[in-house]
Amino acid sequence: MNYLISASTDIGIVKSSNQDSLSAKVISTNAGKLAFAVLCDGMGGLQKGEVASSSVVHAFMKWSGPRLQELCRAGLTDEDVRADWESIIRECSEKIRAYGIRSGIRLGTTVTAMLLSPDRCRIIHVGDTRAYEIKESIRLLTRDQTVVAHEVACGTLTEEQAETDARRNVLLQCVGASDAVFPDWFSGGSCGDAVYMLCSDGFRHKISAQEIHAAFSPENMTDTQTMREKERSLIELNKQRQERDNISVVTIRTY
Amino acid sequence: MLKIGTLVDGKYRVLSEVGRGGMSVVYMAINEKANKTWAIKEVRKDGVLNFEAVREGLIVETEMLIRLKHPNLPSIIDVIEDESTLLIVMDYIEGNPLSKTLAEYGAQPQELVIGWAKQLCDVLAYLHTRTPAIIYRDMKPANVMLKPDGNLTLIDFGTAREFKEKNLADTICLGTVGYAAPEQFGGMGQTDARTDIYCLGATLYHLVTGCNPSEPPYEIKPIRQINPGLSTGLERIIERCTQRNPDDRYQSCAELMYALEHYEEIDDRYRRKQKKKLGIFFTAAACSVLFAAGGAVLQVSAAQMATDIYQDKLDEAAKTVDYDDKSRIYQECIAIPDKASETDAYLGLIQLFKEDDSALSVEEAKILVKQIKNHKAQLLADPAGYAKVCFETGKLFWYYYEYGDANDNQITRMKSAVEWFEDTIAHAPAGDENLNMARVYANVGAFYRDISINTVEASDKGQYRPFFDNLAELMDAVAQREDESEIVRLELLELARSSLQQYAAKLKIDGVSREEMDAMYRQVSKVIRTIETTTDKTEEKKRSILSLLDDTRDAIDTVYSTDKEVG
Repeated sequence: MNYLISASTDIGIVKSSNQDSLSAKVISTNAGKLAFAVLCDGMGGLQKGEVASSSVVHAFMKWSGPRLQELCRAGLTDEDVRADWESIIRECSEKIRAYGIRSGIRLGTTVTAMLLSPDRCRIIHVGDTRAYEIKESIRLLTRDQTVVAHEVACGTLTEEQAETDARRNVLLQCVGASDAVFPDWFSGGSCGDAVYMLCSDGFRHKISAQEIHAAFSPENMTDTQTMREKERSLIELNKQRQERDNISVVTIRTY
Repeated sequence: MLKIGTLVDGKYRVLSEVGRGGMSVVYMAINEKANKTWAIKEVRKDGVLNFEAVREGLIVETEMLIRLKHPNLPSIIDVIEDESTLLIVMDYIEGNPLSKTLAEYGAQPQELVIGWAKQLCDVLAYLHTRTPAIIYRDMKPANVMLKPDGNLTLIDFGTAREFKEKNLADTICLGTVGYAAPEQFGGMGQTDARTDIYCLGATLYHLVTGCNPSEPPYEIKPIRQINPGLSTGLERIIERCTQRNPDDRYQSCAELMYALEHYEEIDDRYRRKQKKKLGIFFTAAACSVLFAAGGAVLQVSAAQMATDIYQDKLDEAAKTVDYDDKSRIYQECIAIPDKASETDAYLGLIQLFKEDDSALSVEEAKILVKQIKNHKAQLLADPAGYAKVCFETGKLFWYYYEYGDANDNQITRMKSAVEWFEDTIAHAPAGDENLNMARVYANVGAFYRDISINTVEASDKGQYRPFFDNLAELMDAVAQREDESEIVRLELLELARSSLQQYAAKLKIDGVSREEMDAMYRQVSKVIRTIETTTDKTEEKKRSILSLLDDTRDAIDTVYSTDKEVG
């Protein structure tokens, strides 16, 4: 399987810093080509949210070097990847917490990381960043770890109420700010001729899943330049609609 | 930052750093002259975004805390300010936070948790009854120190507010806000005492189950789903504390404390009820067999039988001395088919609740209200009877209800009574003997219920005159009567006295003359001296009224003396 990759991030119209961090790349291994992407939405006072988000991105990118090659040589399994990723998140969380206590601030980050191989799609996830799979239809692969999403799942809130609920920005957990972190894990088959997308919450509050699908459908996403243009156009649409957050998106086209 | 070994304020030698929070460091220090250990909390300038604002807030808050004295709160003894830091000197609390106990040993034994719950409830009640009320907002195991003697101390005071009031445009994380109650995220009304009750419930849940409610699955399940060996009483207490809607929780720490002190009874009642349910099932099963066999003939005699049973049971109740038995028998009377419309059993219950300890407890009130409300439709078959039950219930609440602390109890009693008097008015036939008094009670009660709101909205003018007239009527009709019980008379005298003292100025503006006020004052002052008290409680009440008479006199005099100065 081959991959086209594109990513865009924007500070948005209100904030004084961009606390989102992301990275994506294609990796050649003895198990074939893999695509790896990680996207984090940091939070915290002053300029420190980006410290949290970038440190997690760095830790994941470091893993995708020799350690990933090593795993591939031994035969890549869900269990190995999951165990590695969970310990990365645990370690990052401890480090960020310690840093926050040392500097007297509170900071943290969400994380959504995705590894695509010719047959598998693996995702680890904390917070309200998201992963989607786009083919004939658009499918959300992650579950938001927010208070309102939890209440919707429990049936105490409707989708409509959730959108205006005072708690819509409250995460159930995040890396660096919770006592303990319990990441969600997702693994399943991967598809060719599909688009996989990671995004921060700023990317998807003001635009609908249909709009994302229309822009990012695999027929449209045929070269990296077009992919980037499409990303920019949706980011601009978000800004026109007065999105206040940082806006970030990664797209991976498989073929 | 303080250096280890430095002498602070010429008194306190800094020994070691013992903790670090978001914006502060806590040190252990010793007063060498007195050889006593203290904790010094240093709020660092570089740790806080807007230090000036935080320091202002902290100074106000610290000054308030200095005045607090409670066995479960650390005492603050000194506040030292300089340009860059604020130092707060307070009791050094030995021991470990409960979060550490949980991390090391997991779920804690139920009896221990109940004991802790009472201590925490007590300290929260103390905070909530300060003027103005102090809401802690950050109850969680990490903020509760378990001392070597087994007692608890609530720590980390005064930082709670800073972190709890979030800028909601920014994403925040539940992990940093502890067990935040739903309303703490804004948009659902103010935080108040019930917010602390929620967080205390979540804390108890964590302590007794070992499950952190702010970790997956992010829910507070009935505790017996996690450990079936736990008490149903405690389960219900935690459930009630942690309701989403503040109105569905315990409304005050006093109410919660009552439940905590009686959690085993809740258990017992539960078991009894289960047994009773089984009993009713078998009875019903037996009846259905019987009726199927006997058909219509039996139904006729069944009605007669029910009447006989009802009468027998009433007689039995009258003869029974034991409180629980008596209460149970009256309730069984009401449960007899077709007999829910008879008033005797309700009136019997009212009499019983009044007499047993001269107080209507929260539990008793629940039983009575439930019995009446559940059978209202049947009772209304006889409107005069229903009106009588309502009127007596109203009086029971008015004079005997024991709810909340002493300060707001009188108002609570009246507020709770109003609806019963209003129901009396709605259903009593014209000319009913209680109708007039029900109106008077309802008016006075409604006055107190609404006046605090109206005062705020400055629409209280014109309400004091009718209130005064109602009060005067109540005094004439009830307080003067020597055959009324001493509690009733004392309560009424106190109501009149406190109204005169509190509202003298307002009454004057509304056109109550000095002569009228003086007349009521004299009436109070005369009648109170004629009342013979027979219990400690009523003696105490009488003494208190007598001791406040001078203040009342002064209040009236003051209102009219300002008049003279102007003239």
